[in-house]
Amino acid sequence: MNSPYQILGVTERASDTEIKQAYLQLVKDNPPDRDQQRFRQIQQAYETIKDDDSRLRYALFHWPGIEFDELLGHAFKQEGVTKPMPADDFLKLLSTISIDKTLAKNFIKPS
Amino acid sequence: MNDIIIGIDLGTTNSEVAIVESGKVTVIADAGKKILPSFVGIDDNGEILVGETACNQYLIYPERTVKSIKRLMGQDAQVAMAGQAYTPQEISAVILKRLKAIAENYAGRTIGKAVITVPAYFSDAQRQATHEAGQIAGLEVVRMINEPTAAALVYGTGPDEAKRMLVYDLGGGTFDVSVVGVQAGVVEVLSSHGDNHLGGDDFDQQIVDYILEHLKQQGIDITGHSKAMARVTRAAEKAKLVLSDEPFAQIEEEYLLEHQGTPIHLTLELARSAYEDMIADYINATLDAAHIALKGAKLTASDIDEIILVGGSTRTPCIRERLFDEFGFEPHGEVDPDLCVAMGAAMQAAMINGQDIGTVLVDVTPYTYGTSALGYLDGMPYPYQFIPIIHKNSVLPVHKSEAFMTHQDGQRQVDVRIYQGEDPDALNNIEIGEFMIEGLLDVPAGNIITLALDLDLNGILHVSAREKASGKEKTITINNAISRFAAEELADAKQRIDGLFGENADGEEGFASESAAAAEARQLIKKAESLFETVSSEDKEDMVGLIETIVAALEVGDDTGLREPVERLNDIIYYLES
Repeated sequence: MNSPYQILGVTERASDTEIKQAYLQLVKDNPPDRDQQRFRQIQQAYETIKDDDSRLRYALFHWPGIEFDELLGHAFKQEGVTKPMPADDFLKLLSTISIDKTLAKNFIKPS
Repeated sequence: MNDIIIGIDLGTTNSEVAIVESGKVTVIADAGKKILPSFVGIDDNGEILVGETACNQYLIYPERTVKSIKRLMGQDAQVAMAGQAYTPQEISAVILKRLKAIAENYAGRTIGKAVITVPAYFSDAQRQATHEAGQIAGLEVVRMINEPTAAALVYGTGPDEAKRMLVYDLGGGTFDVSVVGVQAGVVEVLSSHGDNHLGGDDFDQQIVDYILEHLKQQGIDITGHSKAMARVTRAAEKAKLVLSDEPFAQIEEEYLLEHQGTPIHLTLELARSAYEDMIADYINATLDAAHIALKGAKLTASDIDEIILVGGSTRTPCIRERLFDEFGFEPHGEVDPDLCVAMGAAMQAAMINGQDIGTVLVDVTPYTYGTSALGYLDGMPYPYQFIPIIHKNSVLPVHKSEAFMTHQDGQRQVDVRIYQGEDPDALNNIEIGEFMIEGLLDVPAGNIITLALDLDLNGILHVSAREKASGKEKTITINNAISRFAAEELADAKQRIDGLFGENADGEEGFASESAAAAEARQLIKKAESLFETVSSEDKEDMVGLIETIVAALEVGDDTGLREPVERLNDIIYYLES
């Protein structure tokens, strides 16, 4: 399984500019016309980590193999009020949040 | 050898066709003219007219002539031409067929593929209609690209410096504004906004209203006289063009009509300042749209390095002034604003055809797409809450899905509606399709349905839905897509339009059957036209005259009639080149 960092070929400490440059180079080599699947993968990777906000969100809520947005959707849909989310889904949701690890990383990061 | 793919700008008032040959973009001229007015008409003999001739006939036979058809694209409308009703797709197809023929004349072989540009703010239905017009014209539309994006491609190719551009595209009937980033050979549209019913035609209408008001004060009402109205419309457009360069325009039409037995002459002066007041609201609307686009790209006016003007209506001086006031520098217009879009289309066509033009395009959708569901609006339960799925300014192609649940026990079917727009109340957005998912499992409420939306590179939406528990994908037909043709209707329309051009059902005009003299004449025209930019205006005039004679002879297949003008044109070229 490839992380967005691996897809774009950058380190987790790459700056916005470095990420953007890597993205543009990949797009140049894989235009949307040629291979839409590949382009979409590059585009998604870029959108996931393109700036501080998205990188923090990725670090906080990403867990391999889990579609976090889908779980979040279930938890907060109106139906959720009368029909609580199944217990194992809720546990999965909890397990995605690895707060200490992420906060630690963001604290030591030079601003 | 690859098939040729042409680039077409199918405009409200003007259309153009361009081609990339050995890395160079050429807008193809027809008898010396690169711009084909988007007019279609039927002449006295029932023959079809396209372009200049139809435009000229409009004054005398407005009831046999159609203009600005692009404004009706995607609507369930028909126009009358010489007593026959036509769909907007069919009229557009006539223009496309003419452009196709112009390109075929130039290339000397049949052409079956095109990239066609559409306004970025064209809706799904308008894009579908454009695609259909291509099919009726016998063209495979390999891609539709957004007009401002095409223009950005022209300006974005070149030295490798990073810049941010604002493309301001005001055409005859539509307005688009896009914020575009150019960096490292990638032209990246960051955001787009616009109005698909705002353009130079509206400016003309303001002047028409002014003239009508002037006549009304003299007790004359001409609204019932189609010929007089056509002349007033033309006079208004002329006055608008004059005001691009002059502070005043004289509007004069002699013998406009007879009123109570006396002939009425129209004489009226229009000052540029008065005209600018008339169109101020429109200009304000375009600037508001520009700010919405900036906001969508998370930028401000000071982040923009260049402004690019596209579309004939940007010749209006007050537009340049207002943009200067907002951004603090002069907008660009080196590439002819009328030709820029067709050139970009041809570049994209070359790219699709496998040619490396050194630039890659990344575009976005200017619309949000979603569905409606039981939810809340202003804190109250509401059955049509808009649930966005694909957000405005998402990069194309995009695939997004969303899970929904049934709300009744044993619910066996779901009615899904797809909307385009930004309003939290789905009913205030444009409904673009509706379908039923039937045969769901008989289970308690909470049965999960995954709805997937796919927006392709043409900006056309594809929808699918899946019942999670059974894994069954439900077949979907969008059943109320307004202007959609069924396949057999398209074939009928094609036959009908081919018939107008006097072609039989299989209707390809063969170039193989053409004589050597004719082929030579076409080559000569090409050569002459390539010299236009460097010759004096007198020489050009002579050449255009000869080309017209040659084209007339070619059209009727008169090889002997070709001899003399070909010889004279050859002499001129020989003289020019030596």
